[in-house]
Amino acid sequence: MTSDPIIQIDGITKRFGDFVAVSTLSLSVPRGAVYGLLGPNGAGKTTTIRMLMDIIIPDEGTVRLFGDARGGREHSADIGYLPEERGLYRKMRVLDTLVFLAETKGVPRDAARRKAEEWLGRLDLGEWGMKKVEELSKGMQQKVQFIATMLHEPALLILDEPFAGLDPINTQTLKDVIVHLSRAGTTIVFSTHQMDVAERICDHVCIIAAGRKVLDGPLAEVKRVHGGTHVAVAFEGGRELAVPIISDPRLVAKADDYGGYAELALADGVQPQSLLERLVASAARLQRFEHIEPSLNRIFLDKVGAAGARPRNPEASRE
Amino acid sequence: MNKVWAVVRREFVERVRSRWFLISTVLGPVFMIVVTVLPALLAGSGGGARHIALLDEGSGTLADRLVTQLETGNQFRVDRVTATEGGAPAAMAELTSRVQANAIEGFLVVSGSTLESGKLEYRGRNVSSIRDVALLQSAARQAVMMERLTRRGVDPAIVQESEARISMTTLRISKRGTTGETSEAAFFLAYIIGFVMYMAIFLYSVNVMRSVLEEKQTRIIEVLVSSLRPFQLLLGKVVGVGAVGLLQMGIWGAAAAALIRYRDVVFGLFKVPAQQAALIQLPAIGTGLVAMVLAYFLLGYLLYSAMFAVVGATVSTDSEAQQAQMPVVMLLIPGILVFPAVLNDPAGRLSHVMGLVPFWSPIIMPIRAAASDVPPAEVAASLAILAVTVVAVVWVAARIYRVGILMYGKRPGIGELVRWARQS
Repeated sequence: MTSDPIIQIDGITKRFGDFVAVSTLSLSVPRGAVYGLLGPNGAGKTTTIRMLMDIIIPDEGTVRLFGDARGGREHSADIGYLPEERGLYRKMRVLDTLVFLAETKGVPRDAARRKAEEWLGRLDLGEWGMKKVEELSKGMQQKVQFIATMLHEPALLILDEPFAGLDPINTQTLKDVIVHLSRAGTTIVFSTHQMDVAERICDHVCIIAAGRKVLDGPLAEVKRVHGGTHVAVAFEGGRELAVPIISDPRLVAKADDYGGYAELALADGVQPQSLLERLVASAARLQRFEHIEPSLNRIFLDKVGAAGARPRNPEASRE
Repeated sequence: MNKVWAVVRREFVERVRSRWFLISTVLGPVFMIVVTVLPALLAGSGGGARHIALLDEGSGTLADRLVTQLETGNQFRVDRVTATEGGAPAAMAELTSRVQANAIEGFLVVSGSTLESGKLEYRGRNVSSIRDVALLQSAARQAVMMERLTRRGVDPAIVQESEARISMTTLRISKRGTTGETSEAAFFLAYIIGFVMYMAIFLYSVNVMRSVLEEKQTRIIEVLVSSLRPFQLLLGKVVGVGAVGLLQMGIWGAAAAALIRYRDVVFGLFKVPAQQAALIQLPAIGTGLVAMVLAYFLLGYLLYSAMFAVVGATVSTDSEAQQAQMPVVMLLIPGILVFPAVLNDPAGRLSHVMGLVPFWSPIIMPIRAAASDVPPAEVAASLAILAVTVVAVVWVAARIYRVGILMYGKRPGIGELVRWARQS
């Protein structure tokens, strides 16, 4: 990982009429990172990505990609972009579609064809190359779209909500591909509002809400700085005996009950040890007591909270 | 540039591969052959000798003359029936039933008073055939006239001479001299060219609109504009679709040229007798006319495809496109409406004016050039106005397109379109 970031955004703002979609947002993505752009619906993720891609132009601020400000289109050969809204030419053959999209990225025709066949084989679509796109199932079309995004072997992948609408099998396929490409040195930026997914693959995150950055940084650091002290507790029985203790605000700042277990954020200055002593004394039968890292979901909810939720851009379709 | 080329190739290949292209390309020459061969064949079935009867009610030598007149030129084969005194109604009834049994086409009734009054009667199945009736009339007129002259004692040789049949050919004179082409052929050519120009410009421009809309609807547009500038995409699209149009017109043009060149072979293929084939006039197409058709097709297509691209970029659904394309279609329509007037008077004032207006000149000017001579200065002026308009419209269209392709939802009003065009 070299020190100069692959993406450097400085103070970008985008307004649609009176609506401020993104406000003075700055972030930087190190080379080789798997970078999660996280936020609730309408936070400005797609607008940010479109400004990255030079599809819309920021009203203020600058975007630098690969160390210069020429814009995403000039670097399109090095960028793979999967937009939030998916779609392919319905009447076109799968192989022709892939070759065409690669050609628009500057890949020579022969090489594009060879790679397309290779990728189709790798994702079990080898026999579908000569079929029209509309003859494929939705899941297969999604795979074709991934291939189109990655075929030209870009150094930077920008994926807008890549996991939205995927079935579990394709979710796994895409995750495998992302991990594979990341190991091979590709930088990957993706937006999502699914915190569990982000937590598993990202090494860097940026949480935005209402068009503003809430926090960013390496995942471990974000957890350390913003997490506080968390424990997971589960009971075999006598749970009711423990309730007064875990709902005592002097001990527990916040509790998330997941049914099987509860995630507790301890109040400032409270050590897990003292909570454990109280629980043991209460005679509730503990099944699990574990000092855990806070989940990204917990941090997200804490930081974004109700304030982060806002109606979607009235001109959302224009984002 | 390679990126634009990729778009051009995609638009071209996908269209040429489509069933729509195959069918329309094949149907063009088929249509040409049909309109050439069919009239010749029909002239055959209509031109063979018609079998009729002549009912003579005591007209004497007039009946002989009529039979001779009718049978010259092999237009009619005549059975002569002489009615006995008072037997006319029975003979008529008998002939009527022969007509009904399709044994004869009809019968002509000539009486003793015909020579005096000039009145005779024809009853038959073919009275609606203008050609047959005209032939019958002219034969009767000739026979009556010759019989009258003879009875007044005019020298039979002079009478014979007066029988001269005339036939008038009309030939078109253009600046290049007499073209050898008849007025019908010129008219026919002008009509076909006008129609083809309208269809080609309209259909291929609408193709551009569909292509723009498809990329919007499938959302693939966003992937494309992350790699290409919107103008490159639009350029590739217009060039690719236009190339398909040129290819199709090229095929049609080659088919027309081949038909004119090898007409005898084609007629032979359909076993059209030589004298009927000679009735069919095929127009001559000069290189000047071909060049004009190409120039006006290209510019007219650029103009309308740019406008239709705007329609495609500003709507989100097919039904919206249907509505939004109306103003553009209405702009093209006057070019069709004045078709007959321009054909009637290709050098008239209306033709002059319509030939200069860029929205109609691509249809009007080739019609005028096919039907008469158009001064080169006028062609130059018309092309210049058209070219300037194309540049202006394409410039505005590209700016609206650039914004429109990423917009979904409510259709923009005129004010908003102006704002888009002005945005940097």
